[in-house]
Amino acid sequence: MSTATATTATRNAARVVDAVKVHGVGDTAVRALDGVSVAFPAGRFTAIMGPSGSGKSTLMHCAAGLDTLTSGTAYIGDTELRTLDERRLTLLRRDRVGFVFQAYNLVPTLTVEENIRLPLDLAGERGESEWIDALVDVVGLRDRLHHRPSELSGGQQQRVAVARAFAGRPDVVFADEPTGNLDSRAGGEVLGLLARTVRRTGRTVVMVTHDPVAAAHADEVVFLADGRLVDRMESPTADRVLDRMKAFEVPS
Amino acid sequence: MNASLRLSLSSLRAHRRRFAGTFLAVFLGVAFLAGTLVMGDTLRAGFDSMFGNATAGTDAVVRGADTITTPGESQGVRQPVPTDLAGTVEAVPGVAAVAPDIQGAGQLVGGDGRPIGGQGPPTLAGNWIPDPKLNPYRLAEGRAPARSGEVVVNRGTADKGGLKIGDTTTLRTPDPVRVTIVGLATFGGEDGMAQVTFTGMTRADAEQYLTAGPGRATSIVVRADPGVSQAELVDRLTPVLPEGVEAITGQESAQENTDMIASRFLTIFTTFLLVFSGVALLVATFSIHNTFAIVVAQRARENALLRALGASRRQVTEATLVEAAAVAVTASAAGLAGGIGIAAGLQALFPAIGFPFPEGDLVIGALSLTVPLVVGVLVCLGSALLPAVRAGRTAPLAALRETAVDSSGASRPRAVTGAGLLALAVAATLTGVLVTPSVWLAGGGAVLALIAFVVLGPVAAGTAVRVLGSPLDRLRGVTGGLARRNALRSPKRTAATAGALMIGVAVVSLFTVFGASLKATMDQTVSRSFAGDVAVSTPAFGAGGSGLSPRLAPALGRLPEVDTAVGLGRGVAEVDGKGRALTVTDPVALRRTFDLGTVRGDLGALGTDGIAITRQEADRRHLTTGDTTRLAFTDGDEKTFTVRAVYGRSELAGDYVITRAAWAPHRTQDADTLVAVSFADGVSAAEGKAAVEKVAAIYGNPEVQTRDEYAQSSAGGIDMMLTLVYALLALAVLIALLGIANTLTLAIHERTRELGLLRAVGQTRSQLRAMVRWESVLVAAFGTVGGLALGAFLGWVLVRASDGSSDSAFAFALPPARLAVVALVGIAAGVLAGLRPARRAAHLDVLRAIATQ
Repeated sequence: MSTATATTATRNAARVVDAVKVHGVGDTAVRALDGVSVAFPAGRFTAIMGPSGSGKSTLMHCAAGLDTLTSGTAYIGDTELRTLDERRLTLLRRDRVGFVFQAYNLVPTLTVEENIRLPLDLAGERGESEWIDALVDVVGLRDRLHHRPSELSGGQQQRVAVARAFAGRPDVVFADEPTGNLDSRAGGEVLGLLARTVRRTGRTVVMVTHDPVAAAHADEVVFLADGRLVDRMESPTADRVLDRMKAFEVPS
Repeated sequence: MNASLRLSLSSLRAHRRRFAGTFLAVFLGVAFLAGTLVMGDTLRAGFDSMFGNATAGTDAVVRGADTITTPGESQGVRQPVPTDLAGTVEAVPGVAAVAPDIQGAGQLVGGDGRPIGGQGPPTLAGNWIPDPKLNPYRLAEGRAPARSGEVVVNRGTADKGGLKIGDTTTLRTPDPVRVTIVGLATFGGEDGMAQVTFTGMTRADAEQYLTAGPGRATSIVVRADPGVSQAELVDRLTPVLPEGVEAITGQESAQENTDMIASRFLTIFTTFLLVFSGVALLVATFSIHNTFAIVVAQRARENALLRALGASRRQVTEATLVEAAAVAVTASAAGLAGGIGIAAGLQALFPAIGFPFPEGDLVIGALSLTVPLVVGVLVCLGSALLPAVRAGRTAPLAALRETAVDSSGASRPRAVTGAGLLALAVAATLTGVLVTPSVWLAGGGAVLALIAFVVLGPVAAGTAVRVLGSPLDRLRGVTGGLARRNALRSPKRTAATAGALMIGVAVVSLFTVFGASLKATMDQTVSRSFAGDVAVSTPAFGAGGSGLSPRLAPALGRLPEVDTAVGLGRGVAEVDGKGRALTVTDPVALRRTFDLGTVRGDLGALGTDGIAITRQEADRRHLTTGDTTRLAFTDGDEKTFTVRAVYGRSELAGDYVITRAAWAPHRTQDADTLVAVSFADGVSAAEGKAAVEKVAAIYGNPEVQTRDEYAQSSAGGIDMMLTLVYALLALAVLIALLGIANTLTLAIHERTRELGLLRAVGQTRSQLRAMVRWESVLVAAFGTVGGLALGAFLGWVLVRASDGSSDSAFAFALPPARLAVVALVGIAAGVLAGLRPARRAAHLDVLRAIATQ
């Protein structure tokens, strides 16, 4: 597996080709994704933006193997997700993908340290203690390792979730509105943390957000509208993203 | 429709699944209760009509007026009446027909050489009364006995023993009599009077084998001329009867017989079943309470919103109670219907397994209709009361709180109260058992202990789950750790869930321990008191069997291999006004085969007017050797006996011993209950046993057992009872299982998002299933361990209390193998209960679980 990781690290960490996702059937059918092809380069922080209902969450779920495409293909590295059964898909998520969700990211019965190690423990692996150690320092929670999530603030909880997402050295970390429940300061810390981790350790992050300020932390933004890829923007700033968003709100 | 009602009904509709467990718990408990009551009603009515039919032709019964009842017996021994009284009775105007009725014990040997019946119901023999209206049995096939050795048997007995008309077999009266079956009979339209076996012989045979001598009958049955009522007949008969003889109407006699069966069999039977349906309902209470507590906790937001919108506390409480009432009423009604169904099923099933269930419609008394309904509704509403009140107390602000880990269960006041209660319970029991023996104190202590366990449950849950679950971390890694912590999340909930199983397991282990102790006691009794080499007996239980021929012991005594063979017979007399069982034997031989402890006086000098008694009885009645005591026998004779010996141990020999010579004038049907044999010097066990068996075969082929075999077979009935108890308790355990499954299902519902997260970050389905299953096992293990501890303690209390209240010493025994099986079953139950919730949890849609609010 380590050789596979090495070869894909120079190319795309995840991608979808001609992705179509239809929710429901018949009259109530909705095309959430309508032929999207997009690649998420390894070692980069990519943000997916778009208005509500643009299909950005669906794209992330399908790319991460949480959901299946109606047609088209999704890859993590070189692995085509469609070829995997439920069990292999779970193992792939465990070993090669990390997740940060908007809320309810931690298991309340486990301590901070146990939450961080959760994917490794589920795999029955010891993990690399230096890596975990470094992660704990990066997220700045060394003094909270034996606390329960309920004893942490929302921002701290989300930082634990980030550390957990990176604990198993995944090919790619998917973050779904990670700052949606946080105030701007705590949100800024979490975003900074994601960006720093990508730059310092060469990991890959794909983040879904509707917040231009959040998107500005990314290396690149891809814009989605009505289930289609409509634009890409390198080195975004909050103002440019906001302008771009306004632009396609007018015609729709 | 009022607001609370509308709220509860819509909530019920929305969450039907949540109440499936509650519904089932109430349903099963009520069905068991209703089934028991309806079956009792039906059996009682059936026996009523059966006796009514069978004895419809008997208008009056003439019999001895007094009975002698010994302790522990429900039916007394009645003095016989002289048969020549029949002539006097027949001369009374208005009497159409008269017949002496001679009854005794007689056990038939079946076609396979094994005795028929004897395990509970009586095995009767009597004279076949030729007048078909006076005979309760009707000839169904063949003819009445005409010559000596010919008999009629009831059809049920013949079928059971594989006998048919023309077959020749042995009747143990207990002297073996060769008999030929010439007819088959029915009783009140059935193949028999329940499982009672009946053999009808000629009157001469009956007088010879069933009574001490000719001229005596159990009673005289009388039929009146047309136009003479039963009461009139009795009025006319009474003046001609000698003193000590009475006449009662046929109806009264039938009623007495029904009552006798009702009290001896039905009441015990139904009480027994009612106790177990009580246990089942108690267990149900726990799981119902738990379900409502969880549902209320889960609905805290909804209730808080209602409160914020202006609903009063009462309205919120009412809404929950109405919900409970709706479940209670539907489940109880369904349970009642189910119970009637069970009774109907049993009515159809019993005849198929050879138990003649009286025919006719199901009889459902008013009580049997109302009691299960009321109990079901009360149990359900009572269990929901506290959660409902708690629902009403929801603060409007609670709408915004996230409930993650609730450790409120293990509060300090609870720990203090629980510990105090437990200390009090142990103190009360120990005092009641060891210091001043009192059943009430011990029983009160036992109940307190149960309450203390329930109160302490949440406090103990934390430690217990941590200890029980500690191997899990190592064995199952993170899956085990998560399971353990999930079980610890809400100690109160875990304790309540486990509590249901705890009670079930406690009752199971209580009976297991008590049964083992009884066995150990018998073992101890036999090994301490029985000094012989083999015991000859007829294994019987309850009122069955006919004992051993009194000629067996002398026959065995003549064998060269045998040193001593002593028969123990049983007599009945009133000793200073109280009915007592007497042991009729050869006192000198008795001492050689039984360890009687220290003997004061001379056992060899009893003669015909001497008696030997145990020290305990002597102390109680302040008697010593040389004192006199008056014995009144069933034939009306009274005689003064002199105490010639006092002995120490009564376990097998009984409290009073008299000689055969002293008993002979008063004897009825003679039988020994046990013949103890010790071999001559130099005779090997196998040799001696073979010789004894050869002789025994001639006398009705009773069992010849070594000391160990005898001790084991004495305890045989206990295993049978235990099996029945286990079967009945299975229902309570099943309800506890439903409770665990239901709690888990609700917990999974609560943790949907967390489970989604675990799945998203890579927990496989099988890991998730294992996690839920292990949680279930931990909860079950907690309940099982608590139940074993409580059951063993209560068993010990029961044994000690029995020890205090009975004459013979009672041994306490813990059966490790059986208790280990109970523990394994409890834990296996946990695995079983976790299966369905685990499967459901594993099939949660990851995306939807994450999105759930």
